[in-house]
Amino acid sequence: MQVGLVHYLTVAAVLFGFGMLCIMTRRHAVGILLGVELILNAAALNFVAFEHFISGGVSGQIFTVFIITLAASEAAIALAIVLQVYRTHRTVMADELTDMKN
Amino acid sequence: MNSFSLDNLQSLTWFFPEIAITVGVIAVIIWDLISAGLNRIRGIVVITLASLLTSGFLSLAYLMRQLAGLTPSMSLFGGLLAFDPFSHLFRMLFAFVAAIVIVFASPSSETGAGTRKRRGAGEFFTLLLIITLGLNLMVMSRNLLMIYLSLEVVSVISFVMAGFKIDNRKSAEGALKYVIFGGMASGIMLYGMSWLFGISQSLDIGEIGNQIAMATAQNGRVPLVILLGVVCMLGGLGYKISAAPFHMWTPDVYEGAPTSITAFLSVGPKAAGFAVLIRFFEEGVKATTHYDGRLTPWAMIAGLIAMATMTVGNFTALHQSNIKRMLAFSSIAHAGYMLLGFCVFDQQGKQAIMFYLLTYALMNLGAFLVVAAVAERNGGNEDIATYNGLGSRSPVLAIMMAIFLFSLTGLPPFAGFIGKFYIFASLLHVGGRWNWILATVGVLNSVVSLFYYARVVRAMYLTKPDDKRALTVRVSWGTTIVALAVPTLALGIYWAPIYDFMTASLLIGR
Amino acid sequence: MGESVVFYLLAALTCVSAGIVALSRNIIYSTIALLGTFLGIAGLYIQLSADFLAAIQVLVYVGGTLTLILFAVMLTAKIENIRTSNTARARLPAMAVIGAMLLLLGMVANSTEWPIKIAKATPSTAKLGHAFLSEYMLPFEVGSVVLLGAMIGAVVLARRAVKRDSERE
Repeated sequence: MQVGLVHYLTVAAVLFGFGMLCIMTRRHAVGILLGVELILNAAALNFVAFEHFISGGVSGQIFTVFIITLAASEAAIALAIVLQVYRTHRTVMADELTDMKN
Repeated sequence: MNSFSLDNLQSLTWFFPEIAITVGVIAVIIWDLISAGLNRIRGIVVITLASLLTSGFLSLAYLMRQLAGLTPSMSLFGGLLAFDPFSHLFRMLFAFVAAIVIVFASPSSETGAGTRKRRGAGEFFTLLLIITLGLNLMVMSRNLLMIYLSLEVVSVISFVMAGFKIDNRKSAEGALKYVIFGGMASGIMLYGMSWLFGISQSLDIGEIGNQIAMATAQNGRVPLVILLGVVCMLGGLGYKISAAPFHMWTPDVYEGAPTSITAFLSVGPKAAGFAVLIRFFEEGVKATTHYDGRLTPWAMIAGLIAMATMTVGNFTALHQSNIKRMLAFSSIAHAGYMLLGFCVFDQQGKQAIMFYLLTYALMNLGAFLVVAAVAERNGGNEDIATYNGLGSRSPVLAIMMAIFLFSLTGLPPFAGFIGKFYIFASLLHVGGRWNWILATVGVLNSVVSLFYYARVVRAMYLTKPDDKRALTVRVSWGTTIVALAVPTLALGIYWAPIYDFMTASLLIGR
Repeated sequence: MGESVVFYLLAALTCVSAGIVALSRNIIYSTIALLGTFLGIAGLYIQLSADFLAAIQVLVYVGGTLTLILFAVMLTAKIENIRTSNTARARLPAMAVIGAMLLLLGMVANSTEWPIKIAKATPSTAKLGHAFLSEYMLPFEVGSVVLLGAMIGAVVLARRAVKRDSERE
């Protein structure tokens, strides 16, 4: 079978699903952030696939360049915050961070 | 609507507000490096304020030019950004909000600016300017790439700001939750954007709008794939305005962040989120409330989100003991009210949201300033119990707080009432069973909100204070609080000129 | 034929690694498995004739982001319980929700009539460079502002933490 657009969309959808699974079930803060990276990659793959099979041009690839850049800067900030949380709480398990409650 | 678009070089003439802010960013960084002592912080504040005011007044100048018919609405940078009165109004609002926050932050110890060594102050003001630049770009964006990019500028910097307090457990915890939710929301939004790109083969929201309109006309209804893409985008934008079910981060972030940043986050990014929502649904989805005599999915989804947001915000606010947390839930509820105006997808709703945002900015900034003033004199304690007897400890401050709270409730004769009135009027103007339901839920929610706002007022006037000493406020804060309270009252009594000005401005954007 | 074999291999690498990221009980394994996903996607980019993207995917993601994440894991994990460091909760309901979501996504992707037209594949680096300096000049500049802000922000957050630690000692 010829590999087409739908194949790539499926790979991206699987990545998106695993990413959501990480975010919904993980307790470790870094584990959750890994899920975010998966989702970003799913979206990036979608963009490149759509550009290759449908639109042509460069806008899809341009978008992906920005996704990669911003994912890196967001990761830097996120990990700095994780370190800060570790220093103040001595844990990075999301469900043990309960200083503030309703 | 926008007959022509300018190329990169021509656009620079119409991009001065943003250039002013960028110059400010660079100037603050350099000044922070070359100066020392008290001069350092004074210089930083002056530079920041100057660049913000320049930006605000330049936007006003653009708006005046457009009102006089000298400059048409157009697209900048080859269609990436919009140059229209809608964005000018928002940019003025952001310059104003950021300027107030600077007055707020400069003597505060939470931001480092008020401490002896002033560690972190330069970074604080640099980041504040960068966020404002991001907000400006958000309201101008006319392209999925620019929407994502500017949203991310605001998000990334907000994460840092939320965790700005040194070695503070709450601040760090709030920032972590903010990052996690923010990452998830922007990921989901991107995924939705990629589908929209696939359908329309373009990142330009006008082009996407044409494709959506065509596909809808062909099928007689909105195709599932478009619905999916737009709903995913709503996830990212809903997170910025803290609409349910993407509001979970709001209370923790607002409670943990420095109060000046809480005030900024509750007004700036929320307003920009609404601007993007409105522009995207007007130009990108070309949404209407009814199609072929039936309710469109857009009206349905927006209405459901609005009702959920109001209800969650108001009912959870009822039993909070921390005032910042209570105001956080109140800000969620206010996003719900504004979403009601968004539900009608027309000019009148847009005007109502604009006016509401102005009144909301005044009263919410004011309320948070009072919170900062009271907390500072109570050793950082933000319990509602610290407001006991404020009416006798500091009569003026108590009166101001009462004005802000009654205005937030939406009681006449305060500005909040007029804002709400226009929101409900825009719903009933369109009419239909769905809009009546929405309006009813909105009114019931306003009644509920009276209970928690009134609790603070009761504590201020009817409860005996534990500490009878008078509570003093620093002059710069006191002046600003009064300066915010006066228009909150004045706009409740005589609002016509401002409202007409906004109406006239928004009309030429068409 | 050969091309589709390569696709299936890359897709398998990507998806299986993503599965390990999501399901492993050890945070180190999860992080290392992310490497597989990133490399698999870089391969897919090459298949989609996006050579430049494949390169920066490897450089930025594998060389930068992943290293950063590994550092964060090492600096925060307690070494004695590393084996069960990445536990999950409420996995079954989450899986049910996500399964339904994937089904919906798959259905939509299959039922939509995509207007497919494949242009001849050409190297994209030059085109991208040109676009960055003309059409997408503004996003390029805004991107640098984000990086400046992120740099300042990361320094603000991290510097303090380190400083406090040394003061304590």
